[in-house]
Amino acid sequence: MLFNYLLMSGVTTGALYGLVALGFVVVNKATGVINFAQGEFFMFAGFIAWMSHVQFGIGYFASFALAVAFGFLLGCLTDRIAFRPIAKSDVVSLVLATVGVAFVLKGLARTIWGGKADYLAFPPITSPDPIMLGNIMVIPQQLAVLGGTVVILLLFTAFFRLTRAGKMMQATADNARAAALVGIRIDRVYTLAFGIGAAIAAAAAVLTAPLTLLYPDIGFAFFLKGFAAAVLGGLSSLPGAVLGGLIVGIAESMAGGYIHSSVMELSPFLVIMAVLVLRPSGLLGRRQPRRV
Amino acid sequence: MAAFGRRNVLLALLAAAMVLPAVANVYHLFIANLIVVYVLLAIGLNILVGYAGQLAFANAAMFGIGAYATGLLQVRLGWSFWLAFPGGALLAALVGLALALPALRLSGLYLALSTLAFAQATQWVFLHWESLTFGAGGFKTPALSFAPLPIDKPHGLYYLSLALLVALFLFAQNLVASRVGRAFVAVRDGEVAAQSLGIDLLRYKALAFGISGFYAGIAGGLYSAMLNFVAPEGFDLFQMVLQKAMIVVGGLGSITGSLLGAGLVIILLEALRAFKGLQEIVFGALLVAFVLGMRGGLVSLLKRHLRGWEEPLRLAQPAPPLVRARPLEVPAGGREQ
Amino acid sequence: MSPVVLSLEDLHFSFGGLKVLDGVRMQVRRGEIRGLIGPNGAGKTTLLNIICGIHRPQQGDVRLNGVSIVGRKPSAIARLGLGRTFQSSQLFQGMTVLENMMVGLHRRTRTGLISAGLDRRRRRSEETEMEAAARAALAFVGLADLAERPATALSFGQQRVIEIARTLISEPALVLLDEPAVGLSANRLTELDILLRRIRQEKGVTLILIEHVIRLVMGVCDQVTVLSSGRAIADGPPAAVRSDRGVIEAYLGKDLGARYQAS
Repeated sequence: MLFNYLLMSGVTTGALYGLVALGFVVVNKATGVINFAQGEFFMFAGFIAWMSHVQFGIGYFASFALAVAFGFLLGCLTDRIAFRPIAKSDVVSLVLATVGVAFVLKGLARTIWGGKADYLAFPPITSPDPIMLGNIMVIPQQLAVLGGTVVILLLFTAFFRLTRAGKMMQATADNARAAALVGIRIDRVYTLAFGIGAAIAAAAAVLTAPLTLLYPDIGFAFFLKGFAAAVLGGLSSLPGAVLGGLIVGIAESMAGGYIHSSVMELSPFLVIMAVLVLRPSGLLGRRQPRRV
Repeated sequence: MAAFGRRNVLLALLAAAMVLPAVANVYHLFIANLIVVYVLLAIGLNILVGYAGQLAFANAAMFGIGAYATGLLQVRLGWSFWLAFPGGALLAALVGLALALPALRLSGLYLALSTLAFAQATQWVFLHWESLTFGAGGFKTPALSFAPLPIDKPHGLYYLSLALLVALFLFAQNLVASRVGRAFVAVRDGEVAAQSLGIDLLRYKALAFGISGFYAGIAGGLYSAMLNFVAPEGFDLFQMVLQKAMIVVGGLGSITGSLLGAGLVIILLEALRAFKGLQEIVFGALLVAFVLGMRGGLVSLLKRHLRGWEEPLRLAQPAPPLVRARPLEVPAGGREQ
Repeated sequence: MSPVVLSLEDLHFSFGGLKVLDGVRMQVRRGEIRGLIGPNGAGKTTLLNIICGIHRPQQGDVRLNGVSIVGRKPSAIARLGLGRTFQSSQLFQGMTVLENMMVGLHRRTRTGLISAGLDRRRRRSEETEMEAAARAALAFVGLADLAERPATALSFGQQRVIEIARTLISEPALVLLDEPAVGLSANRLTELDILLRRIRQEKGVTLILIEHVIRLVMGVCDQVTVLSSGRAIADGPPAAVRSDRGVIEAYLGKDLGARYQAS
């Protein structure tokens, strides 16, 4: 029983980590950088959704859309402000710029919403009573999360495979210079990538919100776990991100249940170190040989 | 020597710092001591990030290790502060050295992330390994006395910090103007070429990590003595970002810059003390603004307008091709360092 | 006969499933300028990478002055007396030209952490010597007035020359030059030709040169090794190699090769 419960819980949080990780991979594939503000996009969108749904009484789905749209805009803005001006810079600058953005967002959230007690509760969307699926006890919200994740993944895949913009992104991810040469506006692609990455994080946040409390520091926790998931899956692999997320979620849940709850916070570190030591390209990533 | 050149300005600052206790109250003295501590942190971090180009996020963790080690050696093993202090610094330096090993195999972003994860793990230890670290509540350290010198703790500690700062500042200045400093920059600007000129990457990365660990450890020991208390809060992610902000604002790749950056940031921090959210916004914005607009930091401004501020080894210019996130420095099938 | 500086014995190297080097043998004598040519993809740069320790061959040996260097770290091999330049510019951007040159002296100097930090007399006297040697090296290549320039403010031709000077300054026994002539104009090419000869004559350094600019290779090399598909298919004085049938076929293919020879 415990196992099933932990499994379900792990799969659910894993799906969320997978989404956050997906956001990382999208940006990384297109631009080659890691967006250190990804966690804060997640957090901020969650707060926006809270404000919309709880404070202003707007319906859940409308709030969802609002938060995702807002996330998208935030991503685009970050690209314009913190990435594009220094896109050709060295790694140190790029990382520090997105770190700066992350802190600005966190501070903003704390200032705007912090006054109302630091931990905000989002009301459950579905009934809180657990239902039985065969042997497993499940909270409907968890199913909603999983369902939502699947939908997002499908939409996402469709975008990449079927739309022109998606194909342009793939081309840029593969070879930016060639893409530019055939006339693709790669700066627009970068903006789109950031926007999409943030939108996915926003969606994940609104899905998570009914299950957990929102607080300004939640961004960093999800950032680390999302990143660990992305690294595990292979930073160049989209399905890898989701797979990585599921593994991290399940492993964390099991460890938390069977060993001790405090171990759960340690999971990102352990996963990152294990991957980087044992198999740096991740489970599904491509091995990149360096040319001298 | 130019009238407002670096050496004169620094000497003037030192003179001011030495007479400060005569005119300052306890609170100001505390802030001044805090600035000294952070300058030490910033110098160490600048050597690692600005000179050797290792994008590591573990400095705050090593700061914490220095503080915790100094405190715990006194509280759990009964050591005197005068033994525990260097002990703590050495321990932090050793941890720093150990971090050089992953630094060999990981580059850029991956190094940043793994050191970040390491810092998180260190926080976790501080918070949860209660039998060792006393957990979230922290612990008090024994009162520090400067007997037989006729000086009370705040003053004694301040002068001790100042003396250490002067010594370690000069050490760092000399170091970066030497063969070792050039080797660091070579590692930063072209690892492969550096190797082809005989520079052993492991050795120099270890040196950079070890030095920054040592400086952070000294800072940590002093910090624990300042507060007479050690708890996990002072060593978290925000701390780390603060330190990064200090070196960016002051000037990456400039020892004097670290001093300016640390001073400015601490003063701002104190001014905004009441509003944590505002602190975060300001520092985040500062980081972005300087990274975008003034990559050489405040020191570059001074260098442009005043004579006598030249330093060896300027900041690297941005490299034209975008660096892709690649985990390893090792080519598939190739040799590792 | 001068002694053998570099000896490659039966080198085999595969990379990602591809066999890049298939039993390469080569011997280079002291004071030689050896050219290494071959069609693209023949494995020339890989061979250099193996010699300087970036890759490790699955089979075979590399001996520098009789000492086996396979398996050693690149920086250790460099310290044994091997220098190298790269296809793309590898000057340290954060330094001036003079400072770049002084890094070239790294393996000949000893100042370590403590002497540097404490500014002991040893450090200061070593610094003065290094600076003098660096200036002298710049003068040797005729670029002494560029000493204080930041490395970012150099023309392409100047960068290439300074890189060569930087690798020479520590007086290595053997220097590997990876396409030093790439992107050079006709004038610069002549200057490079002269420089290489001077290096051999005045410094007594042995050189191995990967090049596609045949004019340079034929002009300045004592001996040329031709690599094709991972094997050394010819090895001899430039004129002989030029008319070797196997070499012509390697570059032009069988048909064109036959026609070329017939003409």
